[in-house]
Amino acid sequence: MDPAKTSLGKMLLEEITPVVMVLRTPLVEESCLKNSLSFIEMLSPFCDFNNIDVPVRTSSDQPYRLQKFKLRLFYESDIKQPDIVVAKERLKQVITEAGEKDRSDLSTDPLDISNILASSKSEISPSWFEIFNKELVRTVSFSEHEAFDHPVACVSVVSSKDEQPINKFVDLFNTNKLPSLLNDGAMDPKILKHYVLVHDNKDGPSEKATKILTEMKNTFGFNGCHLLCINSSQDEQIEHQDNPWAPYKFDSSPSQDLGRYLNIDDFNEIKDLIQELSSKHIIPYMEQRVRVLNQQVSATRKGFRNQIKNLWWRKGKEDTPDSSNGPMYTYSSVESQIRVLGDYAFMLGDYELALSNYRLISTDYKIDKAWKRYAGVQEMMGLTYFMLDQSRKEADNCMENAFNTYLKLGSSGRQYATRCGLWWIEMLKMKDQFKEAATVYFRICSEELLHSAVMLEQASYCYLLSQPPMLHKYGFHLVLSGDRYKKCDQIKHAIRTYRNAVSVYKGTPWSYIKDHVHFHIGQCYGFLGMYDVAFTHMLEVLACSHQSKATQELFLREFLQIVQKAGKTFEVLTLQLPVINTSSLKVDFEDHRTYALPGSTSVKESVWRSLEEDMIPSLPTARTNWLELQSKLLPKHKESNICVAGEAIKIAIEFKNPLEIPISISSVSLICELSATSDETNSDASCSTAGIWNNEEHENLREIISDTSSFSLSEVNISLGGGEANLVQLTVTPKVEGILKIVGVRWKLSGSVVGFYSFGSNYVKKKIAKGRRKAKQSPSNYLEFIVIQSLPKLEGFIHALPEKAYAGHLQHLVLELRNRSEVSVKNLKMKTSHPRFLNIGKQEDLDLEFPACLEKKTNVSPPANPKIASHGVFLFPEDLSVQGENPLLWPLWFRAAVPGNISLQVVIYYEMGDLSSAMRYRILRMHYNLQVLPSLDVSFKISPYPSRLQEFLVHMDVVNKTNSESIQVNQLSTIGSHWEISLLQPIDTIFPSQSLIAGQAFSCFFVLKNCRKSLSTEESTSSLFPHIGSNVSLVPDGSKGAPFDTSKSPLAGFHDYERLQHGISNQVGKNIQKRFWFAVAVLFFLMTIYNSSNALASIVLKTLDSTSISDQLSDEASGNQVGWHDVSLAKDSKIESEALRNHVRKSLLPESVSPFIWSGSSSTGVQIKPLSTTEIPLQICVFSPGTYDLSNYVLNWNLQPVKDHENVGERTQSSGTSLGYPYYLTVLPSD
Amino acid sequence: MATTACFIIVSRNDIPIYEAEVGSATKREDAAQMHQFILHAALDIVQDLAWTTSAMYLKAIDRFNDMILLNPLYLPGSRITSSHFDTKVRALARKYL
Repeated sequence: MDPAKTSLGKMLLEEITPVVMVLRTPLVEESCLKNSLSFIEMLSPFCDFNNIDVPVRTSSDQPYRLQKFKLRLFYESDIKQPDIVVAKERLKQVITEAGEKDRSDLSTDPLDISNILASSKSEISPSWFEIFNKELVRTVSFSEHEAFDHPVACVSVVSSKDEQPINKFVDLFNTNKLPSLLNDGAMDPKILKHYVLVHDNKDGPSEKATKILTEMKNTFGFNGCHLLCINSSQDEQIEHQDNPWAPYKFDSSPSQDLGRYLNIDDFNEIKDLIQELSSKHIIPYMEQRVRVLNQQVSATRKGFRNQIKNLWWRKGKEDTPDSSNGPMYTYSSVESQIRVLGDYAFMLGDYELALSNYRLISTDYKIDKAWKRYAGVQEMMGLTYFMLDQSRKEADNCMENAFNTYLKLGSSGRQYATRCGLWWIEMLKMKDQFKEAATVYFRICSEELLHSAVMLEQASYCYLLSQPPMLHKYGFHLVLSGDRYKKCDQIKHAIRTYRNAVSVYKGTPWSYIKDHVHFHIGQCYGFLGMYDVAFTHMLEVLACSHQSKATQELFLREFLQIVQKAGKTFEVLTLQLPVINTSSLKVDFEDHRTYALPGSTSVKESVWRSLEEDMIPSLPTARTNWLELQSKLLPKHKESNICVAGEAIKIAIEFKNPLEIPISISSVSLICELSATSDETNSDASCSTAGIWNNEEHENLREIISDTSSFSLSEVNISLGGGEANLVQLTVTPKVEGILKIVGVRWKLSGSVVGFYSFGSNYVKKKIAKGRRKAKQSPSNYLEFIVIQSLPKLEGFIHALPEKAYAGHLQHLVLELRNRSEVSVKNLKMKTSHPRFLNIGKQEDLDLEFPACLEKKTNVSPPANPKIASHGVFLFPEDLSVQGENPLLWPLWFRAAVPGNISLQVVIYYEMGDLSSAMRYRILRMHYNLQVLPSLDVSFKISPYPSRLQEFLVHMDVVNKTNSESIQVNQLSTIGSHWEISLLQPIDTIFPSQSLIAGQAFSCFFVLKNCRKSLSTEESTSSLFPHIGSNVSLVPDGSKGAPFDTSKSPLAGFHDYERLQHGISNQVGKNIQKRFWFAVAVLFFLMTIYNSSNALASIVLKTLDSTSISDQLSDEASGNQVGWHDVSLAKDSKIESEALRNHVRKSLLPESVSPFIWSGSSSTGVQIKPLSTTEIPLQICVFSPGTYDLSNYVLNWNLQPVKDHENVGERTQSSGTSLGYPYYLTVLPSD
Repeated sequence: MATTACFIIVSRNDIPIYEAEVGSATKREDAAQMHQFILHAALDIVQDLAWTTSAMYLKAIDRFNDMILLNPLYLPGSRITSSHFDTKVRALARKYL
C-alpha cells in the first residue's frame, strides 16, 4: 500500500507542508470580512493541491514531478507556540462540540457485543477523533527545534484603499511584531517575500489598484507582486453550492454567508494567485535552498575527513552544560541547516534525501545531548521511513526512541510525546498492530483528565479491533475513559463509553464491575435528565449486598433521587429489592379441607389423611357428587385446586433485604387474575404465566392489576432492617366463581417504585402446604384455582385449651363450632388424633361444674359411653345442624396423659345442608401444639402378703418431678370391682405435710385385697370390665370433700384409652385439679397343651410365686424333662395382641420378689384326651415395666394306661414332672 | 511494607468463583472495584498466553480446571463459599505479603 494513501500519509502530507506567513493591513481584513471570512480563510480552500504537477530537482540531477502539495497560511501573530491554556480550551471545545453533535440515540439499549464486533472499523470509533488528534498535533506547532513549521515565505497584503500602499508593505515587514522565530535567530529571517495588493471591487473600479501594482513592481521587483480583486459580485449575493470555505470555518456562522460577494472571477483569481505562488515561487525557492544546503552539508559534513573532524570537534564540546535543550543552534549553524535541509526535502517529497540528513544530524544531537532536537529528528526519521515504506522495524524504533526521549524531557516534552505518539499509533494501526497502538494510547495519557479520556477511549477501540478482539481490555479502557469524561462533565461522551462498556459487561458476575458501570451510566443519564434510562441502569445496582454499607447507601440514595426527579411512579419487572425467596412460597387455601388456625397447615397432609380415612365417604360416592359436577363445569381444569368464593387464599412469601441498610416496602399485594368460566378460553390465550415476561405481558399485568372487581386483595406494609427477612402473609379473596390465577406479587419500594414478581416467570419448585391429589403438576397449576360458589364453612375453636400442662392435668373444654353461612351443615363427625389427651364428652356435660362433677354421687347412673363409631370417630347427633349466629358448643375432656410435646389434631367432618352445592362435604381441621410437663412420678411395687393369700402389699413411691409446683396427693383408686385398697398406716403419720414440694418424694404402703372369689374364663377375657373400684383418701378426712369417682366419665373414658394405648398404667392419683388414678394390670393367658400320645393324660399345673422355689424344683425334676415339648406360641397370643406389645428378651430380673405375681388359681388339673388339645387359663398381675420370665410353674403329667395293649412294651414312662419353659414377657413403660 | 492484593479464581466464561482481598494496607473505598477491573482486563492476556505457552503459572490454572472437573459436587461457575477455603487462602497469602 502506498504510504501516502494511508491515513497517516495523508495526515503527514497535510501537516508537514510549507508554512507561509501572511502580513496584512486591517483594511484587507475588512474587505474580506464582508464575506464573513478572514483573508487566510478566503485563501485556504485553494492552498491544497492534489495535482500540482510541478517538476522538482533536488540533490540529484534527475527531476521528478511533485503532485500533492499544500501550503499552510498563518498570520504573523499566529506563528508562535500556541498558548497552553488557549490550546486546552480549544481542545475542550472540540470535544464538547463533538459531544453535542453526537446525537446518536443515547437512550437506546447498548448493542450486543457480537454486533459491535461485527461492525466495521469506521463505525466503531467516532470520526471526531481525527479532528481532535489533528488539533492535538497542532498545539505543538512552531517549535524552534524543527524546521517544517518555520515559514518558507512571507506574503504581505495591502489593500488598495490603504494610504501609501508601498510604505505599508515596507512597514508590515519591518514592525517588531514579527514572530520570535525570525527575530531570535531560530530561523533565517531572509525568507522569500511576496507582495499582494487586494482590491475590493465594491469600492470602485480597479484602475487605482493597477496603478499601485505598477508602483509595487517597480519597488519590489516584477515577480513578487500581485493584484487580487475580490468582492466582484456587485448586485446580488452568491450562494455557493458545496461552499468551499465551510470546512475551514470552525465557528458556527451560517455557511451560506461565506463568500457571498465572491463570484467566479474572484474565485479563479484567488486560485491562480495561490497556484502561481506555489509553483512559481515557493517550490522553486525550496528547490534552490535544498540544493544549496545540500552542497554546503556535503562540503562540511560528508566524507570521511569531515566526519572525523566533526567527531573530534564535538568531543571537545562535551563539557558543555547538559541542559534539556542542549546548546543553542542558530539558523546559521550547520546543525540547523541540516535540519532545514531534511525538512525541506521531506516537504518536497524527497524522502531519501531527508532521511540521510536526519540520520546525519541525529547523531550530532545525541552527542550534544540536545535531547529535544534529537527526539524531533528521530520522530522525523520514523515518519520518513514510513513514507519510504521500508524497514518498519526501523520506523518503529525511531518512533519509540523519539517518544521516550520526549517523555524524558518531563513536562516540556509531554505534548511532543503526545504528537509523536499519535503518529506512531497511526503507523502501528497501518500495520494492524492494534494492541501495540493501544498501549501507546495508554502511554500518552497524562494527568490532563480530558485528554486521557479521549486517549483511553481510542485505546479501547484499538483493543476491540485487535485480532483476536481483546474484549476485557476494551471494556476496562472504556470504563477508565468514561470515568474521566464524567469527571470532566463531558456527560455525553461518558454515556457513549459507558454504554459500550455495558455491552461488554452485560450479565457479568463480576459484581463490582457491574455496579460501577451501571451506577455511573445511570448517574450520567440522570444528569441529562433521561430519567427512564437512568432508572433502568440504577436498578441493576440495587442488590449490592457485597458493597460496603456506605456504598449501598449511596446507591440507594442516587436511585431514589432519580426516581424522585423523574417525578413518576416506576413499574419494574426486575426490581431486585427486596429479594423474594421463591422457595419460601407457601399457599394456604381451603377446598373441602378447611383449617381452624393458620398453624394447621404445618401438619403433614398424610397425618390428616389417616385421621380422616374413616370419616369421609368412600371415593365412588364422592365422584358422583361434587367431583363429577366440577369436571362437568370445568373440563380443562381437572387438576386445578379448588377454592370457594368468599374464602381467602393465603400466600406466604419471604421478602429479604440483602442490604445492610433498612428499606421500606409498602403496598405488598398479590397479582391475580380471575376469569369467569364462560370466557375461559379467551383469557387463557391472553395470559400465559410461564416464560420471561416481555412488554406485552407487562401490559397484561397492568390490566390484571387494574381489574380487581372480582376479588379482593390484602395489602401489607413492611420495613426491613439491614439483612432482615420477613415472611409476608398475603391473601386474595375471590368474590365470584371462575378460574383464579395467582400470577405474582407486587410491592412498592420506598413509596415510589413498584416492583413486580411473577411466580410463573421462574421455573421454581413451589412448596405447597397441602398435598395434592395428583403429585405431578406444572408449577403454574399450583397457583391456579377453580373458584366454586360460596359454601358453608364451619369455624371451630376450642376454648381455653392450655398450651402448657402438667402430666395428668384434667380439664373440661368447650368446642365451639360456628357456621356463618345461610346454608346449614349436617352429619357432623369428629375425631381426635390423641384420644388419650382429648376425649369427646356428652352433650349434657356442657354445663357441668368442674371439678365438682368428678365427685362421687350417691345416685350413680350407669356409665353410658359417648356415641363412638368404629375407629374412634365420634358422631354428633344426627338431628344437629349448625347454622347462623348460634354456635354449636360441645364439651371436651382434656387430660395431659404423658409428658412431652404433643401435636394434637382434631378433624370435624360435615356435610352441606344444600345438596346442590359443588362440594358435598368439608372437613374442618384443627391443630394444637401442647407442651406437657412432668408432674408426679408414681411407681408401685406389689408383693404378696406373706400371711394372707388374697392380699397384697402395695408399695407406692411418689416423686414430684415439677420444677416449682407443690402438689397435694389426694386419692388413690383401684379400678376393678374385685380390688379393694386400704392404707396400711394413717396418712397423717406418713405424710403429715400433705403437699409435695418440687423434687420431694414420699412412699407409703397399702394393702390390696382381691375380693373376687373365683375367676372364670369368660369374665377374664372381657376387656371392658366396669370401672368400679375402691378409693383411698390420702388427705385427712373432710378437708377436700367427696372423693372423685374414677368409674365415671371422663376418668373412665381416659382410662380405657390408657389401657388401649399400652395395657399397663402404673401411675396416678391426685390433687385438686390434677388427678391421677391407678390401675393394676391383670393379664390373662391361655396355656395350650397338646397330648401327643394315644393315652389319656391327666395334667396338674402349679404356678409358683418365687423363682427360688423353682430352683429347688428344678433339681428334683431335672430327670423327667422328657415327654413335654414346647410348641409354637402362635396360638395363644390372643390377648397379648390386643393389649400388649411383647418382646422376647434374654434378661432375667434378679430380684427375689418378682414384680409380677401369678393370680387366679395356683393349681389346675385337667384331663386331655389322646391327640387332643386343651387350654388352661393363667393370670398374672404386673406392676411395673420390665421383662419377666414366666417359667416359674411346674407341670405334672400322668398317662393313663390304654386299653389296647399292643404298645405296652414300648411305653417306658407313664408320668413325670417338668419345669415351665421359658416364656419372656416384656412390659413397656407407657410412652 | 503495607501491600494489598486481590486474589480471584476465575472459571470458564470469565466467571469469578472465588474472591479474596488480602494484605495489610488500609483499603481504599474503590479498591475492590479497581481490583476487579484490573484482574478482569488481565484475562485477555491470560487467554492469549494460555494458548501460546505451556509453561509458566498458567499450568496451575489448567490443573485447577481439572480439579473442577473432578469435583462432582462443584457446579461449574458457582461460587466457592467455603469459609475453610477462605481462611486457607488468607493464611497462605499472609506468608507472601
